[in-house]
Amino acid sequence: MARARHSGGAAGRRPRIGPRLAEANVALWHAAVFFLFILVWWGLSAAVGRGFMPSPRDTAEAAIRMSSDGSLAEATLQSVYSLMAGYILAAMVAIPAGLVMGGVRILGAVLEPYVDALSSMPRVAFLPLIIVFLGLGYEAKIFMVFIGAVMPIVVNTYAGVLQSDAELIEMARSAGARDVDIFRKIVLPGALPYIMTGLRVGASLALINTVVAELYTAVSGLGGLLSIYGNSFRMAPYFVIVVILALLGVLLMYGVRLLERRVMRWRLHLS
Amino acid sequence: MPDDLAPGEAMSPAISVRNISKTFRRAKAKTGVKAIDDVSFDIKPNTFVSLVGPSGCGKTTMLRMLNGLIHPDSGEILVDGAAPTPGPHMGFVFQSFRLMPWRTIRANVAFTLEVHGVSARECAERADHYLAMVGLRRFAESYPAELSGGMKQRAALARALVGRPRFLLMDEPFANLDAQTREFMQIELAKIWQHHKGVVVLVTHSVDEAVLLSDQIILLNPRPGRVAEILDVDLPHPRYAYDARARPEFAEMRGHLWNRIKDMVANDPESEFFMRDDGASAGKTAGGE
Repeated sequence: MARARHSGGAAGRRPRIGPRLAEANVALWHAAVFFLFILVWWGLSAAVGRGFMPSPRDTAEAAIRMSSDGSLAEATLQSVYSLMAGYILAAMVAIPAGLVMGGVRILGAVLEPYVDALSSMPRVAFLPLIIVFLGLGYEAKIFMVFIGAVMPIVVNTYAGVLQSDAELIEMARSAGARDVDIFRKIVLPGALPYIMTGLRVGASLALINTVVAELYTAVSGLGGLLSIYGNSFRMAPYFVIVVILALLGVLLMYGVRLLERRVMRWRLHLS
Repeated sequence: MPDDLAPGEAMSPAISVRNISKTFRRAKAKTGVKAIDDVSFDIKPNTFVSLVGPSGCGKTTMLRMLNGLIHPDSGEILVDGAAPTPGPHMGFVFQSFRLMPWRTIRANVAFTLEVHGVSARECAERADHYLAMVGLRRFAESYPAELSGGMKQRAALARALVGRPRFLLMDEPFANLDAQTREFMQIELAKIWQHHKGVVVLVTHSVDEAVLLSDQIILLNPRPGRVAEILDVDLPHPRYAYDARARPEFAEMRGHLWNRIKDMVANDPESEFFMRDDGASAGKTAGGE
């Protein structure tokens, strides 16, 4: 970012559509919306009764209680472990798979229906099978996260390779570039925005599947606590888990966005 | 061109095109479209040549064959005595600038060298040298989206030049630019060529541009592409040093070419202007020679 600004000064002109978002302004609005959110939550809990919906204050108190005995931290760590292991594994498998499918056209065309089938099928359907093969422990959970995240990344990477710019490829050919270089320097960077989209969609599915796996296999992590508190109608701690999951989602997306900024620095100049 | 005039050793052409034909197959259609039919011509070393003709005369196809990107169905093309192969020795400038949006201007220019294993440092140095030549040195760190059309095409020109090509192939390079930028770019190109020489093959729709820049103009007929006429332009170089357009020879050649093209278009059943020339224009008389 700093580098981009610096070069901007050297370039002299930097066309921009619309005013740049002032970071201070965004923070201010964030605070305002958060305040409004707490207010609505509080109003709702007052209206329906705290037995159904704990107030923000009840939830905060429950959070403090749960943090002090370490149960919350332990559950969060368990969940983050399954989530990240499954997600990273998915990215490591899916990106090369999508690239190969797009690079070897015949392979892509043959595999396409299977990919479509697998990506539109509810992953919960695989759970009994996963349990039979991998048991109820971390292996099963990680695998469940993996199959949740892997397909959107494959599909988007594949699409990104297929839509690669034929004009740029011809340019590279006229420069005498070999196929390997064309793939690495033209096709791959061209597919990056698609890959990032895949990673973003994959991230939210990974989080969903983390909770699903924790609910259906050996009860553990945040999903486990969710079912324990939910089944016993302890709504304040239950809400704590919901909030933590929401925060995890936000953090995960933030991480993906950071990565996106890093690998697609050139796009910053357009916004 | 008479066949008995065998090219001597000293006069051997830089590019020799012999009886080439090319047909494009339409997907699922039985018959193809003949783009080029039995075309022959020679290009001498250090000549600026323009390929001119109406749409459908195969001039862009011709250029791609000279580059070795595609191959003729029959006939032979020799570039420096060998079959053409793409590479840095043949710079190619496209109508749509074809810069990689994710690379800085410097990295775009260096691409030609990079894919041939030139070290990163030399890539940057040589890219900067040619960026300076086209007047973009201070935009080396910018991204293509930040540049105007004319600047993008300068960058593309620098990319074509960075491999020190002996042949510069240009496919309507200035067609996407506004009229004024276009004129400045023509001067720029003429200046660069004045310094570097080599063979330039320019495909253009603009008769004006062809006469202004070229030593030789190859006029092609449409559907299928055939050589209609080869003309020498005798105006002295450098033409940016004086008002070449004001010369009577310029006007004469421009008028002649324009009339022939108008006739071709009016007689081309596939052209949208087919039979639109009803003799009201001055073109009718000049076309019949």
